[in-house]
Amino acid sequence: MNTSLVFTTNMRMADVIHRDYSLIPVIGRFRIEYGFGNKTVKEVCDEYKVNPWFFLAIINAYHNRDYFPADQVKNFSLADIITYLSNTHQYFLEIKVPEIQNLINKLLEESTVGNLKNIKLLDDFFSKYVEEMKIHFAHEEEVVFPYIREIEKASIKMDAPQSVAKMILAQPIETYERQHDNLEIKLTDLKNLIIKFLPPVNCRHIIQNLLMELFRVERDINDHSYMEEKVVVPKVKQLEQEILKTV
Amino acid sequence: MNFPENNIKVIVAASHFLTRLGIKTLLSVIGIQSDYSEVDSLEEIELAVQPGMRSFLVIEQNMIGSPGPLLLEQLVGKCPLCKIMVIGDMVLKNCPCSQFVSNNDNQQQILEKFQDFFFDQENKKQKTTGQNMLSERETEVLKEVARGLSNKEIADKLYISTNTVITHRKNITEKLGVKTVSALTVYALINNLIAPEDAIK
Repeated sequence: MNTSLVFTTNMRMADVIHRDYSLIPVIGRFRIEYGFGNKTVKEVCDEYKVNPWFFLAIINAYHNRDYFPADQVKNFSLADIITYLSNTHQYFLEIKVPEIQNLINKLLEESTVGNLKNIKLLDDFFSKYVEEMKIHFAHEEEVVFPYIREIEKASIKMDAPQSVAKMILAQPIETYERQHDNLEIKLTDLKNLIIKFLPPVNCRHIIQNLLMELFRVERDINDHSYMEEKVVVPKVKQLEQEILKTV
Repeated sequence: MNFPENNIKVIVAASHFLTRLGIKTLLSVIGIQSDYSEVDSLEEIELAVQPGMRSFLVIEQNMIGSPGPLLLEQLVGKCPLCKIMVIGDMVLKNCPCSQFVSNNDNQQQILEKFQDFFFDQENKKQKTTGQNMLSERETEVLKEVARGLSNKEIADKLYISTNTVITHRKNITEKLGVKTVSALTVYALINNLIAPEDAIK
């Protein structure tokens, strides 16, 4: 796979997937469906009302880890970015978590009595992890994202009511940044518990699939946090300052 | 290759005489000479396997039928020192056996499985799962972390300074590759360093 390749707007959407199939879930998060025919990236994006430049920035960054046009991404509307992040939350909770849980359930079924205790420990660890993930996402969906939408609206109107200024002073994005605990650390721990310490299981293919899934999710979560920390937070901070100056 | 301990017993449970004879021959090929007995019915197994005695049970799957795993589990419950090898068509779900010989295995595979089974390879693997990665002191600190004690409490309990506890924790994390208290607790439980009821919830 040629990772130095940069996807462009006039490339065929079908070719994008042929060149890097790991983009399949990423494209799915934009709610884009298959059956593109020979349509270009731009044409498909227009059809689904997705900003093609934002779409390209995301898939290029995902395709090549060294390519992250943070400056460029900052030019996109926060509403677009938040919609993407929100879809990613759903993707984790509705698709990835059940997939991983299924694999763990299979391990529980197939395990020998001797190893059952250990698999149960992993199951328990993962359940707690999912609970934390839910709390983290719910906080973003219910508190942080609505706040960001308000800020962006006020900044576009160039006329911020006092209430917005008050909101900024009471709970600037900085507080969220401080609370932004790392979902990644626990995931790495889970991987290492399996790779380094789980006694051999008799169902090797399931444990292999489980590990592969954990690596994939980890990558997704890393990208997700990167977007939040390096793109969303700095951009919101900038808007907050601008709004506070005008009132 | 030396047989690990004296005072062990090998029980071969198979319904057919030829099978029993074959297993007996194989045992002498790999150098197992110990207290040996043959049984050809389920009831006899329980009599042959004595609690508290280290024993190796080689059993044919068709002797135990479909409730097999449950029967074997009860047996292991009564005689925890009994190690089981099952010979049959396919691995039964949740079977507590530590080795499985398939009817389709070739000579080489069967030989290797018998050697693994009797020469304790599996047990060795399980015991070394990371435990020797930590020093004795680090293991002590890890146990207290998994019990939910704070750095200060650990320091007081082990008569060391809080800074030393922090250094130990840093080294533990580096060696094991796990950072969070909950993952360290899972590690401690997998390796039986603490009792499940003592673990931090």
